[in-house]
Parts: sequence; structure tokens; C-alpha cells
Amino acid sequence: MGLPASDMIGKKAAPMLYLGTSVIGAAMFIPILYVIVRAAQSGIERWMRLLDTRVPELLWSTLTMTLTVTLMAGIIGVVLAWLVNRTDLPGRRFWSWVLALPLVIPPYVGAISYIIIFGPRGLLHDWLGNPLFDLFTFGPTAFVLTGFTYPYVYLIVSAALKRMNTNFEEAARCCGLNAGKTFLKVILPALRPAIGAGSILVALYILSDFGAVAMMRYPTFTAAIYFQMGSFDRSGAAILSFILIAITLVFLWLESKSREKMKFYQTERNYRTGKIYGLGRWKWPALVLVNLAVFSFVVLPLGVIAYWGWIGIAKGVLDVQFFRYMWNSFSISALAAVICMLLSLPLIYLKSRYPSRLSLIVDKISYAGYALPGVIVALGVVFVYIKYIPFLYGTAAMLITAYILRFLPQAMQAGDSAMSLISPRLDEAALSLGKRPWQVIIQVIIPLVKPGVLAGGALVFVSSIKELPATLLLRPAGLDTLAVRIWIEASEGFYELAAPSALLILLVSILPLRWVLSKY
Amino acid sequence: MKKAKGLILFLVMSMLLLIAVGCGEQLQGKTKEAGELVVYSARKEKFVKPLLDAFEAETGIKVKLLTGDEASVNKILEEMNNPQADIFFSNDTGAMEYLRLQGALAPNDSKALEVIDAKFRADDGSWVGLSARSRVLMYNKDLITEEEMPKRLEEIADPKWKGQFAITRGGNGSMVAHVAALRAVWGDEKTKKWLSDIAENAGAITKGHTDIRKAVGAGEFKFGLVNNYYYHQQLYEDKDNNVGVIYPDQDGMGVFVNAAGVALIKGGPNMDNAKKFIDFLLQPEQMKVFAYNSKEVPLHPDVEAIPEAKKINEYKIMDMPLKEIGPVWNDAKQLIEESGLALEIK
Repeated sequence: MGLPASDMIGKKAAPMLYLGTSVIGAAMFIPILYVIVRAAQSGIERWMRLLDTRVPELLWSTLTMTLTVTLMAGIIGVVLAWLVNRTDLPGRRFWSWVLALPLVIPPYVGAISYIIIFGPRGLLHDWLGNPLFDLFTFGPTAFVLTGFTYPYVYLIVSAALKRMNTNFEEAARCCGLNAGKTFLKVILPALRPAIGAGSILVALYILSDFGAVAMMRYPTFTAAIYFQMGSFDRSGAAILSFILIAITLVFLWLESKSREKMKFYQTERNYRTGKIYGLGRWKWPALVLVNLAVFSFVVLPLGVIAYWGWIGIAKGVLDVQFFRYMWNSFSISALAAVICMLLSLPLIYLKSRYPSRLSLIVDKISYAGYALPGVIVALGVVFVYIKYIPFLYGTAAMLITAYILRFLPQAMQAGDSAMSLISPRLDEAALSLGKRPWQVIIQVIIPLVKPGVLAGGALVFVSSIKELPATLLLRPAGLDTLAVRIWIEASEGFYELAAPSALLILLVSILPLRWVLSKY
Repeated sequence: MKKAKGLILFLVMSMLLLIAVGCGEQLQGKTKEAGELVVYSARKEKFVKPLLDAFEAETGIKVKLLTGDEASVNKILEEMNNPQADIFFSNDTGAMEYLRLQGALAPNDSKALEVIDAKFRADDGSWVGLSARSRVLMYNKDLITEEEMPKRLEEIADPKWKGQFAITRGGNGSMVAHVAALRAVWGDEKTKKWLSDIAENAGAITKGHTDIRKAVGAGEFKFGLVNNYYYHQQLYEDKDNNVGVIYPDQDGMGVFVNAAGVALIKGGPNMDNAKKFIDFLLQPEQMKVFAYNSKEVPLHPDVEAIPEAKKINEYKIMDMPLKEIGPVWNDAKQLIEESGLALEIK
């Protein structure tokens, strides 16, 4: 970590800081570069064969799923946010946080709970003799994915609704528009940036999800890349990754567009809280809808996992082995979290105090690993270790690297927002009192950004514990984690053995919920 | 107050960091020391774990297991310049011979290997089969009689069976090896035609064989193409166990018999322990554990099969030595892909 030794008041930071930042930026970019190089080296013939066979169907299945889930999550998210924030829905304070809960349930855990009940050999099959419908088809898969991703839209739109200035609404009402028309013509357009931002998070998630689609046996690019890596075919995996990176970039471009729009949506000074609409005869349908969402995506998954977890615990799953898996998960994730916090400090400091082209580029690059699926990051990490750091190959270092690549942006986001609240005047004041620049950093900056950075670290910790595909691909022998155990046990149908691990992951995930909620 | 909380959190995190670093070093150093064995496995963990525990208890050698799937083969190839594992458990001799041809395995001259028929091991002893996995048709006795059942694999391509049976996806390891063997007998064109016909005909194409045995047992399909021990496993179910088996092509080419086995990885960190482990596995009592947990048929002639299983010499099997699958393994996948039978299921 480079600390600036030069004078703070000049607009140049220490070379060390620039150097450190550049190194971090380069390190963040190498894995992605690898995938692109590998794809380019694969030869036209390999490309053509994949383009002829797998790619068209994967494109179709991936894009239809992504768009369907995004659309459904958008609708559900907006409707629920509206009901909870702007209507007289009974118990809306309670619903407002319960409806955000699916966000902390990893979709692969959610998928397991659905498979336990509706799967081909699930509970329904045992009770009724047949499972009523085929869970492993498009519709049910889209339903499950929607259920565990709609909170992105719900939370962002809720926040926008809370910030929204009611003046426009009132103007519309004064001009004679009824409640429905006001919603369509005034509120919805004003919410568009928020809906867009939330939807793109959903879309990016669906593009990168491995666990849920693999368990629901639905082929998307991410799942195909994982399985391609398993069939002696690294070039094929690289080619598919290349295409997926391209698709992701399109969505990221859309996201930056939506952010631009977000900018000229600002609250005015004469701010008043929004009007609460009476639901009237819509009260009951609304309640049913909210209950249905909570039941399907909170009560059912938590209940199933808790019940199976309890059966597993009664069977004695919590043995020495289990605690070893737990220890593996916790120690590796904690290490990744601590490193992310340390790495994020120079990045956010440079970005906030000495904004330059370099800091901007590094900032953007750091997000690459975050937006890209874990399988691609894993592919890149394997390559880099084999080629350049073979002595650390096959150790937990690979896993930690992948976590850092994927989740450093979470630490940066949290740190950024803390940093932006600290006025540069404070730095200058400390300097004018005769403090050395490094003293300023240690005595002034770090104590002030610490809560934000720690919160970021906690997020990284939880994300790392939940991470599945990269962990599966990179874990060394004898170092299984909780997420890995869930995958192994569930794929062999031993749900009672998978559930205690899932339960523990759920408990850990709920910890930072309050912080996540306050962020939106 | 808030400050104190943050400080405590920071201290806890730092402590975790220290412990984790220590832990990491330990992990790094471990494989270099004596007294360890690193095992990659493509076999179900519950079939492998008891053997590893027994070995650990008997020798005191610490065993580290990485349970994977067909991906393990790829991982071993990736690591050829810097091998991490000593032992590879495979469900398929084709994959092991493929690894040998790629130069990823080490020869083994242990005399213990000789209890296994030469047909089921590598020429240089680098891999050895432990249990047989014969490709059979299992059927639901409530839905179809033995007489009505097809007796040759060719017959299931007949449209009269449309929708009435289940097969696995084309990329399933057992399926790939089977196709490679069929090519050797039938040639490319006939095999491809057969594959596309059965892909068209099958009522379901599943990821693995467990789904097939359960579906056939439950009466969702009349029969399915499985490895014989899935039939044995279904017999041991509490319900849906009224199933029968046809060992196909007894008047012709014979049944394709693959083997699950163990391979010695070249340059692994604990070569001596690895050889010790393979000798250990070839003891009759361990062979029994290996084969019985999964209800496969042991290849060791002195080890009885489970009572429901046909012995390996009780039916006609294909002439082709298993090692001949290795060179055609990758091609077989291509053939399957071209035939229209999906490698991965949707």
C-alpha cells in the first residue's frame, strides 16, 4: 500500500500511490485479458463449430431468460415498492423490510428449496405420485430466478419513491388527472432511471448466475462455460466466455446510460414526503400479492432449509467435518475481506483526492471482475497462477484472488461513499497544523472512513462465503467450503446434508442486511 | 460507543487475518511434507470416502480429497507441469487412458495389479480398473415383460419404442465411453444414425443415471439404458423396486463393460504414498468396500459380487480392451455432438 509522502497541497500524489494503484488495476484486469487472448488463439475452425452449434441456442436460452426475468423482476419490484411506500397497505413498515429479504438468500439455495418440494423426486412427488409440473423448464426457472432478484428493483425504486418530490404529482392531480393516470404519466416516467438501474442489476446477475441455473438444469452461457471447462475444452470455454463478456458489456453500457439519466433526476429543495394513496377495494388483492411474494421467496425457502437443516442436524451432520468446512469458509472469506479493505484504501483515496485519468481507469477496471461471472474470473485466475505463480497454485491463494477480483468493488463502493463525506478541508487543516501527510492519512482519513470500509469488508466477507462457481473450480484438495458442500450434497440429492450449510450461509448473509438496506 | 464497536470489529478481523495467514501457510506446506495423499475423484463422494478413511486409519497418512466430476480430467491436464494430486479416481477407463496418452500418468510396476485381468488395466500399470460397470437395459416389470423387452441395443432405435425409455445426455462419461466402443464395432455412420435415432426416440434425456433408475422404478418409462449397478441400486430401494434387467446383444457383439478405477498421477507430490494406496485398494476387503458401496461388480476374481449381480464371466462382453477407448475419446464426443444427441441437457 503506497502512502503519499509528498506535499498534499500540490495536486500530485506520491509516485508510490500511483504505482500501487496501477498495479492493483493491472492485476484486476489480467484474468479478463487472458480469456480474451485464449479465445482469440482458438482458431477459426473452433469458433465456427461453436458458432454453428452451441452459440445460437445458448444465445437464445440466455437472452430469453435474462429478458424475461428482468421484465418480471421489474414489474414485481415496482408494484411492491409502490404498494409499500405510497399506499395505505396494512403493515407496510413490516412488509417493507421483509420484501427485501430474498436478496440475502443465494439463488442456488433458493433453487434447492424449490427442488426439494417441486423437483422430479420432491415432496410433491412423494405425496401426490407426480410433481404436477416439470420444474426444470423455462417457466419455473424464470419464476425462481425472479423471486431472488426482484429486490434489486424493489430497493432502488423504493429509495427513489422516498426521495421523489410530490410537487409534480400534485400538479398533475390539480390538472385533473386521476390516480392511475398520475402514476402512468408522472410517477412512472420519473422512476424510469431507478427502474432501469435495478433492472440492469437483475440482468447482470442472471447473466452471471451459475448455481441456480445449473441446479435447475437450464443452459445459459455461464453454465455452459462451467461444463465446457469440464470437458477437456478450455478453448471452447474461452470462446463462450468471450461472447458472454461482449453481452455483459452491452448491458454495462446500458447501465451507464441509465446512470446518465439518473443525474438529471434530482430532488428539489422544497421537499415533502409523498402522498399516501388509499387502496380502497384493491386492499385485499394487494395484500394477497404481498403475502404471496413473501411466502414464495422468504417463508418457503427459509422454512424448507430450516426444516431440512434441522433433520440434518438431528442426523448428526454437525460433526468435526462440518466445523472444518465452516472454518475453511470463514477464514478464506475473512482473509479476502481484509485484503479488499486494505486494497480499497489507496484506490478510494486517490480517486477522491487526486482524481485523474489513471484513477478513473483503475476504478472502471476494478468493476470488471464484479460484473463478470465467477466462472470467467476463475478461468483467468487458473491461467495466471499456472503460468506466473506456480508455487502458489493449488493453495487457497487462488481462491482468495478470485474473491478479491470479484468483490473488491463492493469494498470500494462502501469506502467511496464514506470518503466522499470527508471534506478535503480537513486534510488541509491537519496539514496546516504541521502534521506530515502520512500522519494525516493515519490520524484523520483512516479513522473517518473506517466505518464505511469495515462495512465494505463485511459485504466482501458475506459475498465470498456465498460464492459458488469460482470456489468450485479453484478450491484446493481437502479445502471444501460450505458453499461447495451445498453443491456436492445437493447434486447427489442429499438435501438434509446440504441444508445445515445452507442455513449457516443464510444466517451469515442476514448480518449485513441492515447496511445493504440503508444503502438504497 | 460506536467507535469502540468499530475498534473491536477491527481487532477481530485482524485476528482472523493472522489465523488465516497461518492456516494458509500450513496448507501450502502440507503437501510437501511426507504423510499426505492428495486424491482427485470423479466418483461420488460417498463411494470414495469410506476407503480414504480406512486408509487414513490404517497408515496414518492424511488424505485430502477433491470431489469433482469429469472436470477433474481437465484439471489434471492443466496441472501437468505442476502436479497437485497423486491419485485420480475415475468412473471411466476411457478418461484414464486419455490421461495416460497425454502423458499425465506415471507407470506402476506393483505386483498387486496383476490380480486384475489385463483387459481392465493399462499396459504400464498407470491405471487399473477396480469394478465393472456394464451397460444394460433396466426395465419396469409392471409395464413390460422380459419377452417384450428389446434384446439388442440396435432395437431401441425402432420408432415403436418412441417415448417409452430414457437415456442420459451425450456428455455423460459412461455414455461417451459406450459410444466410443460402439464405433469400434459399428463404424461412424451407423453409430451416428443410431444416436440420432435414440435421441429422437427417447422419452427423456437425463443428466445422470440416477434419474433414469428412479423414473423407470416409478413407472414413468418402461426401460432405460443404464450401468448395471443402477439396476442393483434400484432393487435395494424401499419402493419402486420391481425392476428387471436385460444384458443386451448376447447373440452378437456382447455387452459393453467399462470399469471404475484408479490412476497414478505423474509427478504428484506423494508418489510413494500413492503407490501404497493403490496396493491397499487391491486388497480383497477394500475391493469389496469399493464395489459394494456403489453395487458395482468387483473385478478382483476372489471377491464375490452382491447376490443380485451377474458375475463378470456370466455374460458375453465386448472384445475390445478398455484401453482402446482412450485415443477415440474426444472424437466420440464430436460424433455425439454431430448426431444431435445433446452433450449437456437443457
